This record gives sequence, C-alpha cells and structure tokens, in this order.
Amino acid sequence: MSKFQPRPAPPPEAVPDGGWGWVVVGSLFVSSALVFGLIRSLGVFFVEFVQHFDESAQVISWITSIGVAMQQLVSPVGTALCYAYGTRPVVMMGGFLSGMGFILASQATCVTHLYLTMGVISGSGWALVFTPTVASVMQYFTRRRSLAMALGFTGIGLSSFAFSPLFQLLVDTYTWRGALLILGGLSFNMVACGALIRPPGGPKAAVVVETQSDVHSSACASALSKAYSYLELSLLFQRPFLTYSLAITLFNFGYFVPYVHLVAHSRHQGFSQYQAAFIISATGVTDIVGRLVSGWSSDLGRLRLPHMLCLWTGLTGLFLLLVPLGSLGGSYPGLVVVSLAYGFCSGAMTPLVFSVVPEIVGMQRTLGALGLLQLIESVGGLLGAPLSGLLRDITGNYTASFEVAGIFVILGTLVTTMLPHFFSRTAPPPLASPRTPGQDTKDAESALMKSPSSFSEGLNHLDTLPFTEPQLDRSSLNLDQGDLPLKQGRSEVDNDC
Amino acid sequence: MSSTLIHSLWFLLVLFSRGIDTTETPPPLVPDDPPALLEKSVVLKGDSHVENVELLEPIKVKLDCTWTGNKTKLPNITGYWKKDGIEIDNTQVRVQLENERYNLKKVFSINKDNLGDYSCVFVGSQDGAKIDFHLAAPKMSDMRDKPVVSYVGDSVVIDCKSKKPPVYWLWYKVNGTEKELIDTGANSSRHRMHVNAEGYHSKLTVLLVNESDAGIYSCSAVFHIGASEGHVELRVITFIEPLKPFLAILVEVVVLVFLILLCEKRNSRKQNHSGNENQSAQTSKLAQGENGMEESSTIRQRKM
Repeated sequence: MSKFQPRPAPPPEAVPDGGWGWVVVGSLFVSSALVFGLIRSLGVFFVEFVQHFDESAQVISWITSIGVAMQQLVSPVGTALCYAYGTRPVVMMGGFLSGMGFILASQATCVTHLYLTMGVISGSGWALVFTPTVASVMQYFTRRRSLAMALGFTGIGLSSFAFSPLFQLLVDTYTWRGALLILGGLSFNMVACGALIRPPGGPKAAVVVETQSDVHSSACASALSKAYSYLELSLLFQRPFLTYSLAITLFNFGYFVPYVHLVAHSRHQGFSQYQAAFIISATGVTDIVGRLVSGWSSDLGRLRLPHMLCLWTGLTGLFLLLVPLGSLGGSYPGLVVVSLAYGFCSGAMTPLVFSVVPEIVGMQRTLGALGLLQLIESVGGLLGAPLSGLLRDITGNYTASFEVAGIFVILGTLVTTMLPHFFSRTAPPPLASPRTPGQDTKDAESALMKSPSSFSEGLNHLDTLPFTEPQLDRSSLNLDQGDLPLKQGRSEVDNDC
Repeated sequence: MSSTLIHSLWFLLVLFSRGIDTTETPPPLVPDDPPALLEKSVVLKGDSHVENVELLEPIKVKLDCTWTGNKTKLPNITGYWKKDGIEIDNTQVRVQLENERYNLKKVFSINKDNLGDYSCVFVGSQDGAKIDFHLAAPKMSDMRDKPVVSYVGDSVVIDCKSKKPPVYWLWYKVNGTEKELIDTGANSSRHRMHVNAEGYHSKLTVLLVNESDAGIYSCSAVFHIGASEGHVELRVITFIEPLKPFLAILVEVVVLVFLILLCEKRNSRKQNHSGNENQSAQTSKLAQGENGMEESSTIRQRKM
C-alpha cells in the first residue's frame, strides 16, 4: 500500500458550458465593474483630495498607484489561497476587504491614511476578488470560454462610463467622506458576487496529491513546500514561461500610454476638452467591441492562438506609432480614426494575452502562472507611465512617448515569436510540471489544448495607472485581469493517477 | 472751460477727502497734475460689440470708437453717446469719414456713482453701429456654482478669488433679501468665523458648523470705484445623510448573500438525497475490489 494513495476524487462534473456558468459570468461582470471600473473613476476624488489636503497631484496620484500595485503583487497570494481554501471564501473576503478599505478611508485625516486604506487594504481586496472570479468563470466554460470572459469584462467598460458622473454626484451631495462611505458599501456587493461562485466538483482535491506523505517532515517544511507549489514558483525556472513573461512586460510598458496621455496629447494639439473626452469615450467603445470580436473569433480556432496574439499586438504597436501622425496638421478625424483603431486592436489583444498561457504552461498550472504573470508584468505597468511622462517633459510633446510605447509593444511581439514551437502548425506539448507523473496526462492535456481556449484578459493592470495629470484621466485605463486556469484540469489529473 | 475746471477741482476734492478718511497720508494736491487717464479704443467691423472695462478707482476714461462703416460710405453721419441705454444730452455730433472710417471719442470722469454701460452710437442712412463699454469693478473669478457641503461639527472654508486685489474684503450672510455683515471681531457672536484676506483671495473659515450656518454667503471685494460681489451657498448636513444609503446597501448585500446561500443549501440537499445512493454503490465496489486484490496477494504469498 503506497503512502501516496490519493483519496478518490469525485468524478469531474461535465463542464456544462452554460447554465450556472452564466450566473458566474454575471458575477464577474459586477466584480470587474466594482474593481476596475471603480479605479478608473477615482479621478473625481483626486480633485477633492488635492483641495482638502492641500497636496500636489503627484502625491495624491500615489493612492491609485499603491492600490494597483497591491492588486498585482497580492494576486499570486490570492491564487495560492484559492488552492488552499477554495474560491468562494477568498472572493468573499476580498469583497469585504475592499469595502472596509473605503469605509476607513472616509475617516482619513491625512494622505497617509488614504495610502493605507484605499491603497493597501482595498488593493489587497481587489487582488483576492478579481483573479479567482476570472478563474471560476473559466471553470464553467470550455467551448465558449473566451466569449464568456469577454462578456464578463464588458463590466469594466460600461461601468467606467456610468461611474464618473455617479461619483461626481455623490461627492457633490455628501462630500468626499460621505461618497467614500457609500462606495465602501457598493464594494461590499462583491461579497454577494463571491457567494454566487459555486465550485463545481467540490473543493480542490488536487491538494491531496501534492502533500508529500512523509509523516516525519516538520510542519514548517511541509508548509513551505505547499507554498512553493501553490505559488507555482517552479515556473520561474522554465524558459518558455520566462520568455512569455518578458513579452507581457514589454506589452505593458506601452499598452496603457494612450489611456494616460491621449487626452493631454489631444489638448496639446489644440482640441477642446469635449473633443478630447469624446476620443477617450469612443476608444473605450471600440475596446469593448474589439474584445468581444476577438473572444468570439479565437473560439473558432482558425489560427493558432500565439499567431493571433502576434497579429493583434503587432497592429496595436503599429497604431501606437501612428497616433502622433494621425493628429499631424491638427487633423481631428485623423486622430479619431487612429485612436479607434488602436482601441479595437488593444481590446482584441487582451483576451489572447491570457488564452496563450495554457499552451505554454499547461492547463493545471495556469492559475498560478497567471498570478505570477500579473506580478511580473506590474514592472512594465509601473515603469511605463512615468517613463512616458518623463519623455514628455524632456521633449515637450507626446510624440516621443507614443513612439517609444509603440516600439515596446512591437518588441513584445518579437519576443513572443521566440516562444518554443512558435512556427509549427500544431500546439506544442505543454511544460513538464513536477506534479504530473507520466505521459498519459500529457495526452489529456494536449487534447484539451486543441480546443481553443481563449481566456480573455488577464494581465492588464492598465486600468489603474498612476495619474500624472489627475484632471485628465478619469476614464480609460484598461485593466483587465487575467483568467485562471481550470481547476477541472487538476481533478482530471487526479483521476488519471 | 470753466465747467471742466470745476469738474477737475471737484474730482481732486473728492480724492483729497478720501485721503483724510483713511489712515494713509493724503496724496499731495497738485492741481496742475491731471488725474490718470485710461484709454480704451475699439475698432468695429460689424454692427455691434461689447467691451468690458475693469476699473479699480475713480479715473478719467477716454472711450475711442472707430467704425469701418457700411457699404454706402456717406461722408457725414451722426454719432452720439448713451449711458445705460439712455442717450446722454448734448453729445450728438457730426462724424466725418476719414480714411474710410468714422471716429467718435469722448472722455468720461468715472467714479463709483456713474459706473455702467457707456455706448457710442453711429447712425448711418439705413443702419448704424454701436459699441458698448461696460465699466465696472473687476468681477470675481472662478465662482463656484455648486454649493459647498459641510458636516455638522466640522469646519469649512469658503473662498472667493478676485481678478485684481481689492482694497479690502467684506463678507455678508444673506437672509432672504437682507444682508448681514459678518463681524469677525472678538466681541461679536460670530467668533466662530475667521476671515483670512490676502490680496487676490479671501477665505471665510467657519468652525463648528451647525445647521443655522447654512445659507448663502456673499463676499464683497471693495475697490475705490465700488464693490464687486460673489455668492457661495453653504449646505450643512449631518453624518446620518450618507449613512442612510450606506446602510441600505449593506442590508441589500446581507439579504442577497443569505438568499444565495440558502438556495444553494436547498439544492445541495436535494442532490445529496439522489447522490447518496450512487456514492454508496461506488464505495462498496471499490471496497470489494481492494479486498479482492489483497486476497489474491495473500494467496500468492501462501503459494510461495
């Protein structure tokens, strides 16, 4: 009798591809609206904070920077906690934390309080809500996964339109303290969203496989090895994953630049405030459309996912380079056209950025891989905005910022071509995981690979860029957080054992 | 001629008397030194134009109107001046066409009693032209149109900004049609209010706001020429105001979570009833399988 005997896992429920899955999509819709839609519309509060605390815009903009940074850094922890305790408690706790953060912030007497409450506490809450919810949606769908994800993420786009005027109304009626209190209450709705997430097939049975059944090992060592496997740290030693994370980081350097600087650039070219705001809104609309189109079309499976990714990222980089040209000579239609095209391509690129992950690391490790990727790509996000701001300060206009951003995105595209088996017609076998014993699991996984699984959005913390000019960017930072891989994949592995 | 001399003397007298009232040393009386003259000239191509002129103190203003004329350029047309829409007597003159233009000039002595709209009017054969000069004290800049909201017990700052620094600032609380001057002296009942006036800005700080402080506040920037006012509304709310929607949302969330978990418990109970039979069948099969294996291994051992 081997000590390694796993207890019999319940048979994996056939993924229904619908039914309760659509309820979870609704939960994702509301959660993503309350996380990223909310972050995008915090600009209303910035104006009030600058006046009340008598601080510069730079100091106040750190609030969102810290919030977004926490959301990314704590993401791997969030996914690890999901492995340990299941998705539902983690998401409900996340909703509670983000609400508490805002409620405490309403009592703030100095900016540091805001950093700690709105930044650290709410940011951690967002991390615990977003990535697990995305993973859960993916559990419920196979064929229509990308469409489900795209639908879930439309919450971000739509809420950023609705929240800005709503927040302005709240601030006008109740001052920022009262408005923050009400926002905290709104964020508590994410607890209800978390309650909707029923884990299909029970709590993670895969955990049992992992625990080394050596009874003599100390609790500390087993906890460490658990943490190591939950956080998927072994991925950091594998070249394809590292290549891909480099590519994603390069994308993030350039992706958000238009959302931060497009308004300022259009004002600089001499267009009015309303014209500039219209460009941003229109770009937001094409972004949503691009995501849905890309999610639907990649489900069709005509092209391999990395190829489609390169297509869209290449186009995104190209249009980034064209933005300064589009507004050449004060031409407003030119700028609008290029911005719309950019919006469409960048929206199209985001679902694929996540869909490719299972091809590289395997379905069962995608959850942890996404958590890690979010952590790594945050470098690109955090450095990209200040870099483009610096370029603007040095050169005096935004041309250099857009050109450099476009170059970064194209570099990312080139790095993506360096993925193994990029130029082959069929999907390569996924990375060998220390946990999968034997060849039969690989067959099961590659069979899963063949069905195009487009995860939409995962990585972008773009929506919550630190504002350099708070009065400009109330809308539009595209943050789409990524999807987590199936828990279902794990339970299948268990059955094979 | 004598009237203008009396006019200037009277003007200087006014200046001198002002000098006596203030604590500053009065300006030296030099009758030959003409008072400052502000020149404002406008060239009109269309048929009307409005020009805003900001004045800080009593001054002589020379208004210079030039009209490029209409299509039929008559050599002679009439021109006159209006104040606040009413024609000023004895200002009608004949205007000659010079260099394809008509020109009207007049010097007005402006003090705080005769601020208003001064217009020069050209009357042609079929149409005419009018240029309005709006002479007034500098207006407030960036006046808030939304009310300032504050909580009971909190302190709030209401501020006004003027385009040019006035001589001094005054604050009023408007009760219906009456304006009550806010006296921030130590003995007044309004010691909760402080005024901080620094040139362009003036801030009224109200400490320990209570509900009776709500209403419209009026800041008045007083120049030599007169005062210019701005209005700000103060709304006072208690902390219960935002608490109401907050509690409503909390109740909604709790109810939702409760309902969702309740529905799920009910569904899982139904599933358990049907699922239990299947599971027991499976576990019994497995148990039999394991027993069978063990038996065969022991049989082998025995054989060996």
